Amino acid sequence: MRYRRIRLMGLTFPLILAGFGAWASNPRPMAPVFDHAKHTPLFPGSCTTCHVGAAEPGAPFWPSAASCASCHDGVVKPRIEWSPPGAAAPSNLRFTHDRHRVATADSVRCAQCHSPADSTRSVVRRLVRQCIGCHQPGGDHLSVANEQCATCHLPLTEARGLSRGDVAGFPVPASHRTPGFGLEGHAKLAPVRGPDGRTTVAASCATCHAQNFCINCHVNAPEILPIRALGQDERSLVHGFTFAAPRSHSAANFLAVHGREAQRDAATCATCHTQPSCATCHVGSTLPKPVTAMHQPGPGRAPGAQLERHKPLSHVASFREGHGREASAAPRACATCHMQADCFSCHRPDLAQPAGGGNYHPAGFLVRHPSAAYARQTTCSDCHNAQQFCVSCHAQSGLSARRSLGASSFHDGRAAFILGHGQAARQSLESCVSCHVERDCTACHSSVGRGFRFNPHGPGFDANRLRRRNPEMCIACHGLAIPGAP
Amino acid sequence: MIALFLAATLVPAQGYRVRLDTRIQGVSWRGLDTGTIPRAEAIEQPGGGFLTPDGHAALCGETVCTFFAVGPVLRGVPWVTQADISVWGTGVHGLSLRANARWATDLGNKATWPGTEPELQLVEGYLEYARSGLTARAGRQFLTGRLGAYGLDGARAAVRDAKRGVELTGYLGWGLARGSVLPVTDPALNPLNDFQPRDRQIVAGLEAAITSGRLDARVEYRREVDPSVDYFVSERASASMALRPFRRLTMAAGGEYDLAFGAVGSADATVAWMGRGYTLSGGVRRYRPFFDLWTIWGAFSPVPYHAMHTAASVTPLASLTMRARGEWYKFEDAEVFTPGVSVEDRGWRFESGVTWTPTAQWVLDGSYQAEFGPGASSRGFTGRLTWLPNAQFTMTAHGARLQRPLELRFNDAELTSLGLEAEYRPHARWRVGVEAIRYEETRDRPDATAIDWGQFRLAGRISLLFGTNADRVRLPPAVRTAGNR
Repeated sequence: MRYRRIRLMGLTFPLILAGFGAWASNPRPMAPVFDHAKHTPLFPGSCTTCHVGAAEPGAPFWPSAASCASCHDGVVKPRIEWSPPGAAAPSNLRFTHDRHRVATADSVRCAQCHSPADSTRSVVRRLVRQCIGCHQPGGDHLSVANEQCATCHLPLTEARGLSRGDVAGFPVPASHRTPGFGLEGHAKLAPVRGPDGRTTVAASCATCHAQNFCINCHVNAPEILPIRALGQDERSLVHGFTFAAPRSHSAANFLAVHGREAQRDAATCATCHTQPSCATCHVGSTLPKPVTAMHQPGPGRAPGAQLERHKPLSHVASFREGHGREASAAPRACATCHMQADCFSCHRPDLAQPAGGGNYHPAGFLVRHPSAAYARQTTCSDCHNAQQFCVSCHAQSGLSARRSLGASSFHDGRAAFILGHGQAARQSLESCVSCHVERDCTACHSSVGRGFRFNPHGPGFDANRLRRRNPEMCIACHGLAIPGAP
Repeated sequence: MIALFLAATLVPAQGYRVRLDTRIQGVSWRGLDTGTIPRAEAIEQPGGGFLTPDGHAALCGETVCTFFAVGPVLRGVPWVTQADISVWGTGVHGLSLRANARWATDLGNKATWPGTEPELQLVEGYLEYARSGLTARAGRQFLTGRLGAYGLDGARAAVRDAKRGVELTGYLGWGLARGSVLPVTDPALNPLNDFQPRDRQIVAGLEAAITSGRLDARVEYRREVDPSVDYFVSERASASMALRPFRRLTMAAGGEYDLAFGAVGSADATVAWMGRGYTLSGGVRRYRPFFDLWTIWGAFSPVPYHAMHTAASVTPLASLTMRARGEWYKFEDAEVFTPGVSVEDRGWRFESGVTWTPTAQWVLDGSYQAEFGPGASSRGFTGRLTWLPNAQFTMTAHGARLQRPLELRFNDAELTSLGLEAEYRPHARWRVGVEAIRYEETRDRPDATAIDWGQFRLAGRISLLFGTNADRVRLPPAVRTAGNR
């Protein structure tokens, strides 16, 4: 019993709510719907008997309320309250009855549009299907030919009565969802020949879009004729869109080949890219020619694709140690992205830059630099002057020879190192030079003064060649009595 | 510095760019100090050798013993301010001015920090005229190439035919010292009062290059002459080439020839394959040091080494990259034999690491490196954890631990370092950074010279950028909505 009562309440409560809702949403008495079929005997003439405006420009489209009252006077028929509708709801339809009648030379009867096929008086208003039925037989409203849109629709810029919400509610044609439409797809459809033979924009585009929409992406908007043919209208910005880079841009080798593509077809690049967007990467040298041909961002143009610099694939973690190989062969390739000042951050390093602070050497390198320096992992002297950097720092730390090699006890890891230092010296002479000066060596290797005449010349030594180039080098040890000198 | 800045901003020009960086670092450490005692005071050890009374290993002659002891505390506080200035659009199309100068000083207890003398140094400063077929520069400028990064005060001109991909370059001027922005005659380059040239060298060179989509090749000839005696300081030639026969394949090779010594200098050849998500490379290398002819070092016949190297990098996930590389090398025969003395003549290097980026805010990097070779070896781990909570702030914590035995000296060191870096970019043109690092070292020596090199370093930096439009800040987004239009 209790459940039946609950079910009853469950059924009645929604009905009460629905009734209240209906009353609340339409507090005024509903205007009676005019039943054309029921009134057929009263109007044996044409539709334009009552809807004069459909045939005569300037005439009222609707009959007057008084004409209803001639029957619905409360005596013959119950009184009704009816008044002609106000102004037509805003739309982007180009259609007016009188114009349509003239254009079709009265060949289209009212019932062809306003009545289903089996009825002559059942009125249907604004059924798009009816328009398409004649204008694009068998077609779909949103897939009609470009020029057909303008037959019925005004360009967006002329449909002033539509609100932003109305524009946002425009249906999206299926073509807009096809792959590639956002790039080359729409570019093929938008340009058409106008009546004067000049390029203009397709009516299908102008129906929904204005320049403002195109300028979201098009840097070259002022140069594109179809875009120029569109008017300005802020409402077009309500259309959502997703910008995706062309598929080619995600190719692994795009960075390598984009320059060639740009030279071939700079205009396509200029659709989305401004000079500054290219200069995001092209910082190191004179801008390439295709880039100079691109536009600067400005009024009436899109700001340009936002780019981020990405390192080329070759720039892996170990690249910097060996970058000199490619950089010396193709410096202009480096100059695409780098300024020479970038080189100074390592090649002429900031003296106060802490080791490990993101510079060339990793943290703690100072402690392990002997192992890297003894067998020159890279050419240290490209960045560090041996005297200014190595010798002075070693000297400050007490690691410099005191011109008394015989008394030195630094190389205590090898017994009698001084006697057998030749191999270490020829292998890592730059390391020796970071603590020793020439006098340390000439003390024994010189053949003048108190030198012991120990011959330091080893494999590949070409005395004659060196003497011809710079005999002062020979004089340092041999004095003026250079062996073999004329 | 201020004058340069004012010049850049006041000179009537369409564009200018000025970058000011200032950094300061505080470091203190202890080095070594040599001492002597009479042999009579040295204590002879049972296994041979001598110790000073306070435990330092000593090398004794007939009357005197020398030893290395712990040196005094040294404190370096290098403070460097650098200005980098570019000015263009002065009314002559293609004409621009560029200058890079640094002012450096050491605020420590004495001038201990290398490179802070002289205080004002001009790194670069030239006038450039650039058109599509010609680039000419006059002033202090740098040459980068197979013969190294080299500075000169003079003129350089490059003419090119872009269609044929040909470029010819010539330069002439007074050279700077290698690895420095100072001339060789500067007293700062002679800390031990060694022989020093009287005059700056005159440098002249020619380069020829061809460039195409697949091949870049360049040859260079350079000679340096001592004008006071008209003798050569150096005479070298180099060739380098980069070939890209296929989309993912790059081959690079090059070498230098020392015409003065009549010897092949350093050279290398590398092949690299850049696949989808991985890169592979391998090659051979030769290293031979280069010495100017106004030193005697070249006469000691330094021998080159030959190396084979390989490297690989794999990115199995977008957030993960693994890498490894190794090199093996061997010196040429030094043609030296001393009974009872042997020195390593070959070595190897190896490093492997991984970088993991679990989110856009976190980057974790770790690596292991080992090195064995003549003179010294090392092996250790390093790690870095970077946090990027937003576009303005970056913080990195890093640490390392390594062992470093020496071959020619009793000194097996173990080092642990821990550091913290932070950078704040309140504006696209301003940067502020601080860094602190602690080195903790222990040295394994059987005597009192096993000094603790442990130290604490603090550093701070500020970078400011001024300019018209050349700072290359991020562009506004391409996709804008109605709301912010």
